[in-house]
Amino acid sequence: MTDVRARPDLAASENASVTESITRSKWAPFRSLFITIVNLTTFFTLWELVALSEVINPLFFPKATDMFAALYNGFVDGIIGPELLHSLQNFLIGLLIAGLIGIPLGLLMGGVRIVDLILSPYVWAMTSLPRVALIPLLILILGFGNEMQLTIIVLSAVFPMTVNCMEGVKTVDPSLVRAGRIFGAGEAQLYFKIILPFTLPFVISGINQGIARGLVGMLIGELLGGGGQGLGFLLDRAAEQFDSPMLYGTLVLLAVISVGLVQGMRWVERRAAPWRDFSRA
Amino acid sequence: MTQAVPPSTAGETTSDVGSRSASGQPLIEIRGVSAGYENKRAKTRLIALRDVTLDVYPGEFVAIVGPSGCGKTTLINMIAGFIKPLDGTITIAGREVDGPGPDRAMVFQDYAVLPWRSVYNNVKFALENRRPRPSKADMRDRITKALDMVGLIGFEDALPYELSGGMRQRVGIARALVSDPEILLMDEPFGAVDAMTREAMQAEFEKIIAETGQTVFFITHSIDEALTLADRVIVVSNRPGRVREIVDVDLPRSRFDEGVKGSARFAELRGYIWGLLQAEALGAKVGGGAS
Repeated sequence: MTDVRARPDLAASENASVTESITRSKWAPFRSLFITIVNLTTFFTLWELVALSEVINPLFFPKATDMFAALYNGFVDGIIGPELLHSLQNFLIGLLIAGLIGIPLGLLMGGVRIVDLILSPYVWAMTSLPRVALIPLLILILGFGNEMQLTIIVLSAVFPMTVNCMEGVKTVDPSLVRAGRIFGAGEAQLYFKIILPFTLPFVISGINQGIARGLVGMLIGELLGGGGQGLGFLLDRAAEQFDSPMLYGTLVLLAVISVGLVQGMRWVERRAAPWRDFSRA
Repeated sequence: MTQAVPPSTAGETTSDVGSRSASGQPLIEIRGVSAGYENKRAKTRLIALRDVTLDVYPGEFVAIVGPSGCGKTTLINMIAGFIKPLDGTITIAGREVDGPGPDRAMVFQDYAVLPWRSVYNNVKFALENRRPRPSKADMRDRITKALDMVGLIGFEDALPYELSGGMRQRVGIARALVSDPEILLMDEPFGAVDAMTREAMQAEFEKIIAETGQTVFFITHSIDEALTLADRVIVVSNRPGRVREIVDVDLPRSRFDEGVKGSARFAELRGYIWGLLQAEALGAKVGGGAS
């Protein structure tokens, strides 16, 4: 890549070292992994010990080993698998629909003032409204089926995406736009070469928030919608049957899925826009 | 092409002096230009510039100094074609300015390089939107030449966030030079760069312009910078900005020779412009109190 030594004049005048090799222990990358493993092991060991002491009623607080056993058996016996598949499938389809609607809508609202003026009251109302409030209405209209669950996921995920895309377009650095114009970019080129790349990180944060909200939407749909399918249903049933190992197991599974999605999106964010500081959130 | 003194235009006679200003037809004609911004809420209009008349000749280096908020940036934005004057006209080579054009390029105070593009592709941006689009080989040659001029060879693949402010502005300058425009518009290009780097970049820029012979319209708030680079210094008054005075800089080049910067004439010119600006700054206080 770039070699500063080739231009000592620059390096001297501007301290312009672009890349420099750093000597680090080869174990350094594994250190955080090691800490995480120790951390989690300690956590589950403490859990096990507290549960064994039966300070809390075992009905509400099972042993960690029972929880893992319930998870393992659930997968082996085919209890969890189909529900997990159902939930994830619904979630991904819902997210896809939300993205197909929300992202272009947000870009349009950011770019065209009149569209923004007309739509923004509704978008903001829907963004602020707690999605659970819509459940009775959706059940009334769509019944207890998959359509209702899918709809609530879409409604949960679409608005954060729209709002973020809109903000992205609106906050485009004006001097980048002026640079575009002075160097001969027409309207289309301005949009595709300046505005869209600038907005990309905002689109990704929108998807990120859409994922978080969509997961909530998925669960409330399954918990309150009574569709008899999905991880939410698994939670509901485990609670009804006082099957606390399964209840905790499902919660852990949900936590793993959420963390996986959030970390995955962070990775995408850093890849797609390395110039931005994503330290927030 | 002689090497000693930068004679950029035909008909140049005063080769013993640094001034490159030429006689003949002006390249940029600014005639009675006023500009302002509407304040919709207060239903008022803030007048930034009033009745500015100025000629810039081919190959000339003109620096604009003035108190902050005097409308310098508004003026350069009008020459660039980003905004239109409320009154008056701006013509370039006889044609009235109606939007940006390939005859002008601009260097921005905040660099305005595209953060998602490599150094090479940032410079390429100034060529790729032109019609007809230059051939690939042609673009490569010109980009390499521009990068070489600003000392960025070896940094082609770097992304702007990996570079220092001074290096980023080098990208901005290379981008402005690559299409070989007649006019370079520079809006406080070294204003955000640290003092040491600024001096080095000024000296390099003086050399580049001596070679390319472009007409430069340069905004700065540094009197020293104006005096070391420009043929003429335009002192703009407080808001609403008017041309307060035009100072011919009769200093030999290169001005980066210690003899020139330390000369009595340099100090004299600096003192004179400083006095003009200080009067403006005081005037602003009085004016501000009265209104």
